[in-house]
Amino acid sequence: MHLVEFDGSFAGWRQAARRLLHEGIAPHAITWRSGNEAPGLFDAAQASVPATAASARVRIPRQLLDELEAAARFRVADRWSLLYRILWRVAKGDVAARLAGDIDGSELHKRLKAVRREAHHLHAFLRFRPCQSEACGAEFVAWFEPAHDILASASLHFAERMGRHRWLIATPDGAVFWDGQQLQEQRPCPPAWRALAEQPVDEGQALWLAYYGSTFNPARLNRSVLESNLPVRFWRHLPEGPLIPQLMSQARAGAQRDGQAAAVARQAGKRIRAGVSGNADPDRPD
Amino acid sequence: MQLIDKLTVLADAAKYDVSCASSGAPKRSSKGKDGLGATNGMGICHSFTPDGRCVALLKILLTNFCLYDCQYCVNRRSSDVPRARFTPEEVVTLTLDFYRRNCISGLFLSSGIIRSADYTMEQLNRVAKLLREEHGFRGYIHLKTIPDADPLLIEEAGRYADRLSVNIELPTEASLIRLAPEKQVVTIKQAMHSIHQGEHQAREEKGSPRFAPAGQSTQMIVGADATDDSTILHTAQSLYGDYRLRRVYYSAFSPIPHSPNTVPFEAPPLLREHRLYQADFLMRGYGFAAGELLSGPGNLALDIDPKLAWALNNREHFPVDLNRAEPAMIARVPGIGVLSAQRLVSLRRQKRIRYEDLTRLRCALEKAKPFIVTHDYRPQLATRESLLLRQQLSETPQQMALW
Repeated sequence: MHLVEFDGSFAGWRQAARRLLHEGIAPHAITWRSGNEAPGLFDAAQASVPATAASARVRIPRQLLDELEAAARFRVADRWSLLYRILWRVAKGDVAARLAGDIDGSELHKRLKAVRREAHHLHAFLRFRPCQSEACGAEFVAWFEPAHDILASASLHFAERMGRHRWLIATPDGAVFWDGQQLQEQRPCPPAWRALAEQPVDEGQALWLAYYGSTFNPARLNRSVLESNLPVRFWRHLPEGPLIPQLMSQARAGAQRDGQAAAVARQAGKRIRAGVSGNADPDRPD
Repeated sequence: MQLIDKLTVLADAAKYDVSCASSGAPKRSSKGKDGLGATNGMGICHSFTPDGRCVALLKILLTNFCLYDCQYCVNRRSSDVPRARFTPEEVVTLTLDFYRRNCISGLFLSSGIIRSADYTMEQLNRVAKLLREEHGFRGYIHLKTIPDADPLLIEEAGRYADRLSVNIELPTEASLIRLAPEKQVVTIKQAMHSIHQGEHQAREEKGSPRFAPAGQSTQMIVGADATDDSTILHTAQSLYGDYRLRRVYYSAFSPIPHSPNTVPFEAPPLLREHRLYQADFLMRGYGFAAGELLSGPGNLALDIDPKLAWALNNREHFPVDLNRAEPAMIARVPGIGVLSAQRLVSLRRQKRIRYEDLTRLRCALEKAKPFIVTHDYRPQLATRESLLLRQQLSETPQQMALW
């Protein structure tokens, strides 16, 4: 059994995996141990690998490496052995290993899908708030709790959206800061950044909440579709999160027989007389 | 009136238009540039409301004052609803603010008809122009097109917007005459034609200005009149064919306050709308024709999905041998989608397809089982009568809500 210790990064794993592949060490004979231990442990572990005759140069399709790198972002206790097993099988000519119908490939694709989905969640459900603090350096800050290690790879999306704005995203593990030019990553997240991202609700959210309440159609309440599209774990950090149960119970209480928002139903209406020229012209006084 | 009050009224007035897509726009980026916003072709749903529908765009009316009296519409002139009007600058402020907060990917702007069709269209264009030219906004813009507006105004709208839409509203001319007396099928179709021409020109002529790169869509209201699903699907099919629409949206008629007697008081079952979307998807993505899904007049079955219904009516094509069949035929098997069909085809280049491979691909096997053959599996149920199969596979009715 070979104990392979490395720094926990994909680059570190790749380097180790390439070496093991050359040395012809089969997947079942390896235990991967990643961690932030001091360098040197890795070298020590390498020493324990017997230097068998290296096989011929291994060629791995670029696309497979991209897939493995993406799948490595999936958080699971033993994320590396599956990746090496697939690498091993493909290197031996068994290309089915990376297909969704294969026993290993289906697990690979499951992880890829979850990672893609989580990046999409970040793009969709993250909410920036204008930064209150002068010392902040960022104009907009956000707090997000991703389920997989997608922060660094997925957050460049916001550089495209936000133009010259500077922004900061803090998570329980790491944080990223865009200074207008470049993305800086910090692991772990500096406590000062975390404090900025978790500052109390700002008043600017009132408009968004008014919009959210009004665009909801209470005559079509559909909790299960809501929960499959917007998993409950995200509600806590969305400004509209606390509104969701409120709107649902109002709609369920039967006050709503039609689609109109309660805030609109309370107001006086105005019929427009037909055939009177200018009558539907809101520019003119009544 | 405060901005927040206007927003409350004009979002409520706009929500019956169900389109919310933010996809199909070309790649645009503001990285390191003045201005704001990006598109990359993929849509993003930034939130979902408790009705399960996505919030991708700020969907509002510029005003809900309206000269028209469309019976199904909450904003018809005889409707007793509060009225409001945004200035173009207010819409711009809201769009940019929500966009920076990452609440939306863009704007979907429509309006009641005020003064004239041309005047209304000019106002909509003005908002889009402000966003694009004054504020360098590169996010998604969807503009509603007013059917009777001057084609030159439609052309201008196409330069600023990613998507344009003209609502067909009702699937037949007779219903439109009865329920929307100010609207005419002929002008609606002319507007669709203008947009189609604009798209065509932008594609064919080099150097011509961009025109609505995310194409056009439309909406049909379901259940406000007696039209059946067969007519609705055939209408949709001809719209896809004639004007190359990207999407037809089906909006189950939603009861409105102070509903006039000309429209029903009850909403049609939401499941009907769902089945129409499924059928529409089969036409767009699977090569089904409307006539295959509903050969005569009538509605789609509610208890089974339209693909299963087609399979049960066409047993002579089944069971399908997954190791031999054409990919298009595999995708026609109930419970196997286009993606799974592609994956099966790449897998069978490597090995014989077995039953357990389908489990790994997460196909809906309960549905697929009676219709497939694999290397190690033949359906016992293949000879079973369609009626029995249908009983077995139909979705059991849900218990009614307590309130």
